[in-house]
Amino acid sequence: MITLKQELDASQKQKLLELKLKLLKQIKRSVYVYRVDCGGCNGCEIEIFAAITPLFDAERFGIKVVGSPRHADVVVFTGPMTRSMRVPAIRAYRAAPEPKVVVAYGTCGCSGGIFHDSYAVWGGADSIFPVDLYIPGCPPTPCATIHGCAVALGLLQQKMKGEHYVEGAGAGAKLKFPEVPIDLRKEIEREARRLCGYWHGKRIAEQYLEFLREKDLQRIEQKLDAFLNAEKDPRLVEVYLKIHRLYVAKMERSGRQCPERLNFTS
Amino acid sequence: MIKLLKKVLQVGEATLKYPFAPAEVAPGFRGKPVYNFEQCISCGACTLACPANAITLSCDLEKGIRTWQLFYGRCIFCGRCEEVCPTEAITLSPEFEMAAFNREDLICRADFRLNKCSLCDRFFTPAKELEYVLSVMMQAGLPEPEIANRRALLEVCPECRRKVDVEKMKKAMFAPLE
Repeated sequence: MITLKQELDASQKQKLLELKLKLLKQIKRSVYVYRVDCGGCNGCEIEIFAAITPLFDAERFGIKVVGSPRHADVVVFTGPMTRSMRVPAIRAYRAAPEPKVVVAYGTCGCSGGIFHDSYAVWGGADSIFPVDLYIPGCPPTPCATIHGCAVALGLLQQKMKGEHYVEGAGAGAKLKFPEVPIDLRKEIEREARRLCGYWHGKRIAEQYLEFLREKDLQRIEQKLDAFLNAEKDPRLVEVYLKIHRLYVAKMERSGRQCPERLNFTS
Repeated sequence: MIKLLKKVLQVGEATLKYPFAPAEVAPGFRGKPVYNFEQCISCGACTLACPANAITLSCDLEKGIRTWQLFYGRCIFCGRCEEVCPTEAITLSPEFEMAAFNREDLICRADFRLNKCSLCDRFFTPAKELEYVLSVMMQAGLPEPEIANRRALLEVCPECRRKVDVEKMKKAMFAPLE
């Protein structure tokens, strides 16, 4: 029974790969997928089940989730490889007939994810099994699941590519909003994040800082008014006004009208 | 039966066209983090923020290279790297098609040059970060001679700076006694 990663040598691996490719080419029925939860949070399972609902309908490509590893052509491992699920996972793996395609599903399945340094976690599925396909995502969306299955079955091309950059004698990093003084920018960003959380706060602050590119307070207010009149969400309007009040108060404190003179020393 | 068929025709097809047509993602969807090498100064803020340690930094002090690495297979798409990045070098995109046959294809790596300390001649800080810090000071309105002073200060490694300071203090403290 040649199965586990450590038990294979190079020629056997090559042979197994050929068998797998042959399986995918010559298969004349649905591809049966068996799913093993090695100790994850169940997010991945929910997404797999979402992927086989009529809305996403993975079964139209002949991908069918089965209840026994004996039927499986594809074994999907979700969740980090935990200490206690290691043996059942190996049993399920051995129970599936060769050749089989092994898929590491979800971030935890790929590498252990956020649990990678836990005392009870071995790592991803690839710590034990020879993984053929990685589907990262936390969890992968149903569309990502379908894409992953299609890539595994050779219907679609892989999109990811390893990247390696080496620093040459290029230009340095560009500054954000070079015309707005740094401490003013920092205050606006902080306030926006405090009010709306980092994701929306960042976008709101950036939008407001766009207005500050105008040097004149009147023009800034004109632009802001035009923007807020078009805005339908009263909460968002309030946030912008709060940030604007902060800006005006800061202007008054420094006793100057022009934002470009509000600098390091003030 | 006819009633049912009518209803079916009215509702139409619920199944998404994906993968034959691109799938729409919800606004604010957090997908693959996209790295912009031009903007990255290898400050390491993202490595500290990353809860899953998907982003790591390593230094080769012999060759003078600092390596930044993002392993997509460990990323949990929380977006905290985007939050802390001072230069917007990393942003989450709506991209979700990340399946890969090889582990290597899930890795994004970047090498940065390190600067040598002007006193002890050992590598200690990335050149790009140093330049960025100085340009921020310039933006903050520091005068030109002051920036030259700070550059001289920043090109000395912390260890040497400490030694120089101790020497200075020694002189200041014991000079009146002699």
